[in-house]
Amino acid sequence: MPLANPPAPQLTRTRSAVTAANLWRAYGSGEAQVVALRDVSVQFASGAFTAIMGPSGSGKSTLMHCLAGLDTTDRGTVRIGETAITGLNDKALTKLRRDKIGFIFQQFNLLPTLTAEENILLPASIAGTKADPEWIARIIATLDLADRLTHKPTELSGGQQQRVACARALATRPEVVFADEPTGNLDTRSSGEVLRFLRRSVDDFGQTIVMVTHDPSAAAHADRVVFLADGQIVEDLHRPTADAVIDTMRGFENRVPLAGEAR
Amino acid sequence: MLRATLKGMASRKARLVLTSLAVVLGTMFVAAAMVLTATMEKSVSGVIADAFTGVDAVVTSAEDPAAAQGNTPSATLIPADVLDTVRGVDGVDTADGDVSGQVNAIGDDGKLVGAFAPTIGFNWNDQSTGYNEIRDGRGPQADDEVIVSAQFVTDAGLSIGDTVTAYSYSADRADYEIVGVFGLSGDRDSLAGETQMGFTTAEAQRLLTQGENAYMTIYVTGDAATGDIADAIGADYRVQTGEEASEEAAEGFAAVADIMGYIFLGFGLVAVFVSVFLIINTFTIIVAQRQRELALLRAIGAARGQVVGSVLAEAAVIGVIASIAGLGLGVLLGWGLSQLVSSSAMGGLPVELEVPPTSLWALAVGIGVTVLSAIIPAVRASGVPPVAAMREAVNPPKPLRGITIAGLAVTAVGGVLVALGLTDNLGDLGLTGFLTGVGIAFVGITLLTPILSRPLVALLGAVMSWSFSGRLGKLNAGRNPRRTAITASALMIAVALVTGIATIVSSFKETTAELADQNLDSDLIVMGQQGANIPTFAPETLAEIKALPDVSAVGDMYGEFFGAEVDGRQTALLASEDLPTSLGIFSGTVAEGSADLPDDGLAVNESAAADYGVELGDTVPVTFADGTEVPLRVSAILDDALLTDGWWVAPAQIEHFTVPKPMQAYIQVADGADVDAVQDQVDDILADEPEVSVTNNADFVEQQTSQLDILLNSVQILLALAIIIAIIGVVNTLVLSVLERTRELGLLRAIGMTRGQARRMITVESVIICLFGAVLGIAVGIGLGWTVQQALEEEGLTSFALPWDLIVTYLVAAVAVGLLAAIAPAARAAKLNVLNAIAYE
Ligand SMILES: Nc1ncnc2c1ncn2[C@@H]1O[C@H](COP(=O)(O)OP(=O)(O)OP(=O)(O)O)[C@@H](O)[C@H]1O
Ligand SMILES: [Mg+2]
Repeated sequence: MPLANPPAPQLTRTRSAVTAANLWRAYGSGEAQVVALRDVSVQFASGAFTAIMGPSGSGKSTLMHCLAGLDTTDRGTVRIGETAITGLNDKALTKLRRDKIGFIFQQFNLLPTLTAEENILLPASIAGTKADPEWIARIIATLDLADRLTHKPTELSGGQQQRVACARALATRPEVVFADEPTGNLDTRSSGEVLRFLRRSVDDFGQTIVMVTHDPSAAAHADRVVFLADGQIVEDLHRPTADAVIDTMRGFENRVPLAGEAR
Repeated sequence: MLRATLKGMASRKARLVLTSLAVVLGTMFVAAAMVLTATMEKSVSGVIADAFTGVDAVVTSAEDPAAAQGNTPSATLIPADVLDTVRGVDGVDTADGDVSGQVNAIGDDGKLVGAFAPTIGFNWNDQSTGYNEIRDGRGPQADDEVIVSAQFVTDAGLSIGDTVTAYSYSADRADYEIVGVFGLSGDRDSLAGETQMGFTTAEAQRLLTQGENAYMTIYVTGDAATGDIADAIGADYRVQTGEEASEEAAEGFAAVADIMGYIFLGFGLVAVFVSVFLIINTFTIIVAQRQRELALLRAIGAARGQVVGSVLAEAAVIGVIASIAGLGLGVLLGWGLSQLVSSSAMGGLPVELEVPPTSLWALAVGIGVTVLSAIIPAVRASGVPPVAAMREAVNPPKPLRGITIAGLAVTAVGGVLVALGLTDNLGDLGLTGFLTGVGIAFVGITLLTPILSRPLVALLGAVMSWSFSGRLGKLNAGRNPRRTAITASALMIAVALVTGIATIVSSFKETTAELADQNLDSDLIVMGQQGANIPTFAPETLAEIKALPDVSAVGDMYGEFFGAEVDGRQTALLASEDLPTSLGIFSGTVAEGSADLPDDGLAVNESAAADYGVELGDTVPVTFADGTEVPLRVSAILDDALLTDGWWVAPAQIEHFTVPKPMQAYIQVADGADVDAVQDQVDDILADEPEVSVTNNADFVEQQTSQLDILLNSVQILLALAIIIAIIGVVNTLVLSVLERTRELGLLRAIGMTRGQARRMITVESVIICLFGAVLGIAVGIGLGWTVQQALEEEGLTSFALPWDLIVTYLVAAVAVGLLAAIAPAARAAKLNVLNAIAYE
């Protein structure tokens, strides 16, 4: 079911769309135990574009999965809007993901059997509801996908595929869109298009976006950059520029010598 | 390389177990068929050898006894003086004359005794007791005494002290007191379900040799040389040693066991055929999954041959293990089936298990089929270019043109063979040609299924697309036409075979019903179940029926089927007490002359008249089986009609017939009269007629076709095996689909698809595949049935009818099978860990 019209941006700045408090997540046990998240507390403001950065293995994806209800936490709580998701059963979590969360992955975002348009409408179809046609038309226009709607994913370029994925993520007007390295596989031009669209969806539609990225220039499109290292938040940068991001990364590269992953 | 293969196999346990199961089932049936045949042969020949224990020589007529029909013609009899001559030969200790033949005994219920009526009647003498064991009482000492077999007691509901009425085709009814009951050695009631009565020799001769003091067989003991006996009695008789005679007798039974064996073998081969599809599919799937691994092997220097070898080695390992298991289980099954056959049809014959060396063929079949089926996927695997290891595996759908053209060609070849086989062009090889043609046509149609799958899956899917997950399932089913097709093909073959047979059966029923409907203007029919002899009833009974107040007309038919000649050519003769009325009831019409035949009159249908070159008024010599020769004049030419075609003689000639009794009567009930009431009255009149009963038209059709229903049911049960294999194939394909689409499923689950929806998606895919197979199978089966019906039209299978009820049942069953096959794969899809799925490589 499509959510109500997005609240006006000025009202939502103060509200937080996603709240995590004292999150712990460890994999394995005993000697082999890896603590992916250690006591992470973070809030993502509604209507804001937040980037999560950090060296490989720092826990970015884990954090995102925990926030999105895809992974369970060992300790701590997560709220999406007003809903506490920790402790929800699979059915409730599935419904929550369907109605309140949008996803963009690095690849394999689309079902190969469906056309671009059907992929965009997928969440609504799964929910058995009808998407708001005006809203969909607007997204499609913004993403410049109008003449690609009947194409199958294999007939689309990587950039076009990611744009379809963006449209799909926004189609239900979710509370928050999680994007895990959405531009990781794209060239500069295509990633520029995708990032500009994400930016516009925040500015024009008041969408909340949390994006994991390795690319400082991608992070520069965000309102805020949260840096993770070794499962902990180590920096929190507001209104970042690419240079500021690079500087910050250099800063903790010195602290965490192994992390040379800034691609 | 082998180690890598084995390790790989260990990681694909589930699929390999499923595939092995298919091979096991196929091999098992093939082995069971062979064990059944050999075991039954051995057991039966053991029993027959028992019967001939102590018999040193056997004398029979040199005339072929198979030529003897109904009554034993005196030509095959051995006169009593020959017995005396034999007794006089040097070295002969004893010689006993044996009389045996068919008698009709009337049971407690007033009908003929024995499921395999008539009963075997014979002369009870000392020789009889060697093999038969008296259980109770004694042998007959007077002509009105009889000893009966234990099976007879069961079937007749009569026992010691009771009186039983019996007669034969040449001797009238007489009453006998049952003075004893005997069983067969080994505590059996019968050899194969038959009933027996032992009379005194004189009485047996009255019943079976038209009173002649003669025998059918002489059993000799003593060390006389067979040559000496033969010299003494002359060339009219054949002398065999006891052993030879025993072997000859066993051969007859062996033929029956062989037929059963062939039937099982046939179904085993169908199962093997179906498992070929499953095996090809499994290995295609395995190869697809291993594409990157195989490419890597190639990249690091493995030759193409080694890749082929590694896939084939895997097939060989499965083939060997599964075939050995199949063989073992097949021996057990064969033994079990033998027990079943023995207890249900052979009167509890003791089963001696025999595992013939030929059953090793089952091993060869199992291993061969597995390895051969794996060749195509293996060669395809070797074609994986080394660079495939480096890039993302993309398998664009291959074009279907080549396979479709090949399919059309192969189907055409199969079709031509079927046509040739059915139209007598292949002579003795007709049946083989037909069956081979069907097999080839199946292969051809299988090659056509991918192209057919597109429109059909879309159509079937449309029905199921009411929910979104259903729609996704439909799209998935149409995604890999080859895989869907090959999976559905296995089901198609099984369904096509049952539908084909069901169509033929329903056409038979329809033909019979139409025959009764269109050609018979009667309400009730008096006739018996056709056994070894044609059942008849007393002419007086016919008169009584005609005299019933509510009966408006009765058509009757007498017949002479053996030994009569018209113009020097053997043919059947018919007669009716009232030909004009009978013609009316049988929808026959007179073209020329009058059906009211004078005593020397003849009526014949147009085509037969043309065939014999006779015209109205011509005189034709007619010879009856009793030797009477009379010139008869053609006084009526009949229009050709199904029930009245043939030569009709006047009532006055009936006395020359071998059995001068009516075979059938067709009763017209007066308008407004209660048919059921008349049926009851006729039933009363027939109380003393054990061979026939009265039925209404609907029951008549039912009766005529009840055997066919049993046949159909047996086929369905036997094909269940092929269907099980087909189901395994569906499960296999679905499990693979789930595996292959792990990422997609992960994505769907991540963006909000519930477990239930995921389950439904897989289920719909499964149901579509199964329905596709069933629809194809039904179509092919109808085609098959139609072809056979067309071919048999000349033989009288004039109507074509579809077994609608069964078709609907099969479709419903296909849906059920689809639901069943989807359970495990769907559960797997639903349980899928979303995070792992997203990360799945
Ligand atoms: N399912 C799992 N089982 C065991 N360990 C895991 C699992 N998932 C993640 N980890 C570990 O948790 C840590 C954090 O992983 P995560 O995927 O969150 O890192 P990331 O920051 O997303 O890295 P990248 O930039 O490479 O994507 C890593 O050390 C990883 O090995
Ligand atoms: Mg990651």
